[in-house]
Amino acid sequence: MIHEKTILYIEDEKEIGDWVHQDLRERGYGVIWLTNGDRAVDEAASCQLAILDVMLPGLDGFTVGQRLKKQYPGLPILMLSARTSIDDKLQGLQFADDYLTKPFHPDELAARVEVLLRRSGAPSAEPLQLGHLLIYEKENIIKNRESGEEIVLTGKQFHIFQYLLRHLGQIMTKEQIFESVWGEPYLDGDKTLMVHIRHLREKLERDPASPEIIETIRGIGYRVRA
Amino acid sequence: MKPYVKTKFRNSLLSRYLIIIGFALVLVPILIPVSFAASWGVNRLLFPPAPGTAETVRDYGSGLDLETMWHGEAQALGGKAPQAIDERLRQLKREYPDASLFWVDSAGQTRLQLPERSGLPAKWSAEDAIAYMKRAVNGDPFTIVAFIGSKKSPGNQGFMVFELPRAHMYKSSTERNGDSRFYGLFMFMMFAFFILISYLFFRDIRTRLLRLETGMARTGPNGLPVRIAEGRPDEIGRLEQAFNRMVDELGQSRQREREEEELRKNLIGNLSHDLRTPLTVLGGQLYSFRKEPLSEQGREVLALMEVKIKDLGTLIDHLLSYNLLSSGRYALNPEDRDVLRIVRVSAAAWYPLWEKAGIEADIDLPDEPLIWNVDEQGFRRVLDNLFQNLVRHARSGGYVGISLAERHGKPALVIADRGPGLGAVSPSKGAGLGLQIVDLLLREMNLCRETESTAERGTRTYIFTAAPSPLVK
Repeated sequence: MIHEKTILYIEDEKEIGDWVHQDLRERGYGVIWLTNGDRAVDEAASCQLAILDVMLPGLDGFTVGQRLKKQYPGLPILMLSARTSIDDKLQGLQFADDYLTKPFHPDELAARVEVLLRRSGAPSAEPLQLGHLLIYEKENIIKNRESGEEIVLTGKQFHIFQYLLRHLGQIMTKEQIFESVWGEPYLDGDKTLMVHIRHLREKLERDPASPEIIETIRGIGYRVRA
Repeated sequence: MKPYVKTKFRNSLLSRYLIIIGFALVLVPILIPVSFAASWGVNRLLFPPAPGTAETVRDYGSGLDLETMWHGEAQALGGKAPQAIDERLRQLKREYPDASLFWVDSAGQTRLQLPERSGLPAKWSAEDAIAYMKRAVNGDPFTIVAFIGSKKSPGNQGFMVFELPRAHMYKSSTERNGDSRFYGLFMFMMFAFFILISYLFFRDIRTRLLRLETGMARTGPNGLPVRIAEGRPDEIGRLEQAFNRMVDELGQSRQREREEEELRKNLIGNLSHDLRTPLTVLGGQLYSFRKEPLSEQGREVLALMEVKIKDLGTLIDHLLSYNLLSSGRYALNPEDRDVLRIVRVSAAAWYPLWEKAGIEADIDLPDEPLIWNVDEQGFRRVLDNLFQNLVRHARSGGYVGISLAERHGKPALVIADRGPGLGAVSPSKGAGLGLQIVDLLLREMNLCRETESTAERGTRTYIFTAAPSPLVK
């Protein structure tokens, strides 16, 4: 689905680098693989994502990552760590958008890469097909595939839907959605979000009583399945 | 510790005080005459004596001395010729220039007068003698009358008279009393001086002790006491030195502790890296096998190996985390957080896994926040370990329930499953490091875990705040 994306990958272990490089290429990404962070900032200019190993010779992954983030604030960074998950060095990963501990499964890496690219990347020119909906992200247009009618959302409804689309396939908690869309702390028992979701469903869903697009995860939040 | 160093005696407070006491004791005998002399001096300054008197007055001794001398002379002159008597009186006149002398012979005739004077009868009658004696008693001049010759035959050779103005006989007694009128004042001043010195001595000790106390109570930015300025090298000075030594040692041990901590963390970090890197390589190699044509059995083996690699990775993580936690080398930063919110985020991350494993999630948490003082990363780790255990050992129950219940009168987070219970033999059961890490983390965050487990109804894990309930073991 996503093509023509280039990933900057910095890994000093040749054997790991070999197969990750290979695997990502097979999944349709362009990969620039470096074995140290010296040229990272230059190479990152043409990349949409950076995958960094924490332990690198010379400049370590933290330093490289912080430099990249300073130069390209919009560039998502995924850290690969061979450290213990309780290590306080993980606090140093605050700048990173995600991290994965070794050993990892290539499918897991690919899934995280996809999430990060979707969250940060420019909207795709290709329309996104979700059930009976066709979503033109670039033009901010939602169409009913069956009737061809355009569905018009209010500002807040649109923001909620867009937030869920950006985290396609992920479950977002009520607090996360509310705080991202409204930009203020979620108050206990706030019914505002529920009301907005109900109105959103009335517009989007074929049958708002049994929603197919926006799934309720009871007790947690909502999810839009890919 | 450095060995006990004896202070030089001259530096000790005791010696200084002994010097003050000794000084006072030694000075008392000196002080009394000195203050008397000072009193005399001041008296002389304030009340100078009348001019001239002091210079002309000659002291001839007391009246008794003069009487003894005069009667002696008169006895010695007994039986001597009148010329000899004259001669002797002239000599005495030279010895007592201020006195006037005369003698009268047995016939009552006035003989030699020194000096020559009027008012004396030339021929003494009995009445004259009585009148003269009457006048002379207790009068001025002081008069001594002695019969010449032995006492046994008085009147044989006449009598001789010695007159001396009383002014020449003794000093003014009033002058003598005045000399000591300032004596008490001087003594008082001296003693007051010693009391003042003593007071200053103890006040100085008190001030320094108070300063020491303030200095000891002060703490620096690192939470340790700071060094204090050292004063004189006496007992208090030694106390200050000892305190500074202690502060230094405390700082050094804190430094050593930090270095050890850093060393251990680095060791564990490197160990983790060294163990995980080959594991990752192994995983990569296994993955590339998938492209090969494999039998169904081969694929199953491959999948199992991938699971085992993941398990091994988790085990390494647990092992190293446990090492860090149990040695107290992992610092948590507890803050007041809404734990239900953390639970929801964690559950959202685990939800896809539960779906994949066929576990139905029943999450029933209130909207009102539940504020506990927890470290967010630590609490996430607790939930991760519990959920991980649930997926591993209670998958057969196909259920995870997350809710809030009352436990010992306090709200408790409940994680329930319908698995075979803790007593069951699980194929993937290990040393239970995951749960031990949970317990260590919970203890650090002052939380408590209780578990109810039966083979029929599965396991319910309660997490609640530990303090201050007396019911908690």
